[in-house]
Amino acid sequence: MANITARAPIGLRRPKARQVLGRVALYILVIAVAVLTVFPIYWMLVSTVQPSKYSMHYPPPLFPQEIVFNEFANLFANHPIALWLRNSFLIAAMAMLICMVLTVPGAYALSRLRWRGRSWFGLFLLVTQMLPEILIIIPLYIIYRRLNLLDSLPALSLVDTAFALPICIWILKGVFDTIPSEVLDASVVDGCTELSAIWRIVLPLSAPGLVAVATVSFFSAWNEFLFAVIMISSAELLPASVGLNTLKATAFTPVEQYMAAGLIFSILPVFFYLIMQRYIIAGLTAGAVKG
Amino acid sequence: MSSMADTSGAGERTDPRKARPSARRRQHLLPYALALPIVLYEFALIIYPIAQGFVGSFQQIELAANRPPTWVGLANYQRMFSDPDFWKVMQTTLIFTALVIIVAISAGLFTALLFNRAFRFRGVARAMMMMPWAFPEVPVVMIFIWILSPQFGVVNLLVRWIPGVNTNPQWLQVPALAMGWMVLIASWKAFPFYSLVTLAALQSVPQELYEAGKVDGASPLQLFWHITLPSIGTTLELLVVLASIFSFKQFTIIYLMTGGGPSGATETIVMRIFNTAFRFYDYSYATAFGVAGFVVSLIIAFFFILLQSRRAQETA
Repeated sequence: MANITARAPIGLRRPKARQVLGRVALYILVIAVAVLTVFPIYWMLVSTVQPSKYSMHYPPPLFPQEIVFNEFANLFANHPIALWLRNSFLIAAMAMLICMVLTVPGAYALSRLRWRGRSWFGLFLLVTQMLPEILIIIPLYIIYRRLNLLDSLPALSLVDTAFALPICIWILKGVFDTIPSEVLDASVVDGCTELSAIWRIVLPLSAPGLVAVATVSFFSAWNEFLFAVIMISSAELLPASVGLNTLKATAFTPVEQYMAAGLIFSILPVFFYLIMQRYIIAGLTAGAVKG
Repeated sequence: MSSMADTSGAGERTDPRKARPSARRRQHLLPYALALPIVLYEFALIIYPIAQGFVGSFQQIELAANRPPTWVGLANYQRMFSDPDFWKVMQTTLIFTALVIIVAISAGLFTALLFNRAFRFRGVARAMMMMPWAFPEVPVVMIFIWILSPQFGVVNLLVRWIPGVNTNPQWLQVPALAMGWMVLIASWKAFPFYSLVTLAALQSVPQELYEAGKVDGASPLQLFWHITLPSIGTTLELLVVLASIFSFKQFTIIYLMTGGGPSGATETIVMRIFNTAFRFYDYSYATAFGVAGFVVSLIIAFFFILLQSRRAQETA
């Protein structure tokens, strides 16, 4: 009797102990992954708000010793960062406008219409999206030089758009695919033309997809570096992605200002990419993976 | 993707304006009218420049002298294939690309398996994990240059624990270390994407399969090997191809951190094209390298299309 009562709890406890151990291991792994992933970003934040007398010291303290924010003001006072951000904004806004205008009809044709060449069109977009930017930079530089388009922000956003357009179309195509065709058929019966149906029915139903397209087209131009560094040479036209690196060259930029500049540049893209990640990832995998 | 033979026009739908031939004709032309501006745009800014680059690889281009290019036949290609650097650059590209694929996709798979389990704060942890993916490349470079600083870099705290390491390493001056960091940084930035896509695939594996496996007494490892991996196999294949595209294209991180150095240790083909054209102003030679890079990306694109059409057949 005593034997039985003594054994039963052990039999129960053993899998439980293993379960608890499994949970602990799981949490340890999750914490390890989280720390490894986020640490570089944490370090950027620490180096931004901590005076450099602590950062420029070995070994550096792992937690901020003192928090100050005045370097943000110094950054804007000592460097033309406002100008750089303005230029980035202009390039990105132009790229976004062109992209939106071209993406909506393209995605509609790819998603809702049945036509000869539709799959070729989709394939063409996928392949252009895969080509490395470096392949076109030399010929494009020569062409732009001949046309006097170097050192021009609108000309730069034209190229940025060309690389954002395919993924934008695939993102919006995925969203259009989810609209039931009955909704559209009903509107055609009600006397809408196909184009006014796009405007009045399809677009309002695809609002999140449109925001995703706006995000990708705006911030791929905002983040873009290669074309900008080759094509823009005037100091007053530098976009922030290129401008930030001139801070590195001037060795006297205190590390807080350097990190603050990177942080300011990143806040908006990080925010929007995180919110829109589901759509962007679906577009990048071109609808092949159902998320 | 639908089959290429799909020719049923939009006009064949029940349409109140069916009787009006001009309206039907418009309906037939509509998709072409919608797609044409995009095709033209991509041709003007991507296809035409690539074709120009192809032409340029048979020429001697001298921009500074403002002279028209002269035809030199295959001279640039002869030079490229007899250039020992060409094979070295190809090798570096292959090593970098392969390592990023391995590291980033393994990290993605590992974290996806982790996040496929239920735990507290999973949403928060997942959002945190996506941060590197959402970060622009230029600030990422700024962070890592600072972290890797031989003078004050925080990473030195970690390696100084290793017995025998008594000084901070010159992280980006030692060829193997520089390559290792390029791979780690590129993977750090890319793995959340692979993780999220893998996670979506994991979540679509039917739970009954696991239950049936458990009833048959399979160990967790066997479950993973016989159920999980085959179920997400096509997704992983697709991710390998995507990862090879993304890492083959990688420019900004390498350019800003090492510029291809030290002594060419991180000079991938993309870096070599840039350096040849914009540091040594040898545009024609750079375009020959560009054609080589184009061939490589076409090969990768071919695999991508192959996978896509196989998936399309599976789902059809």
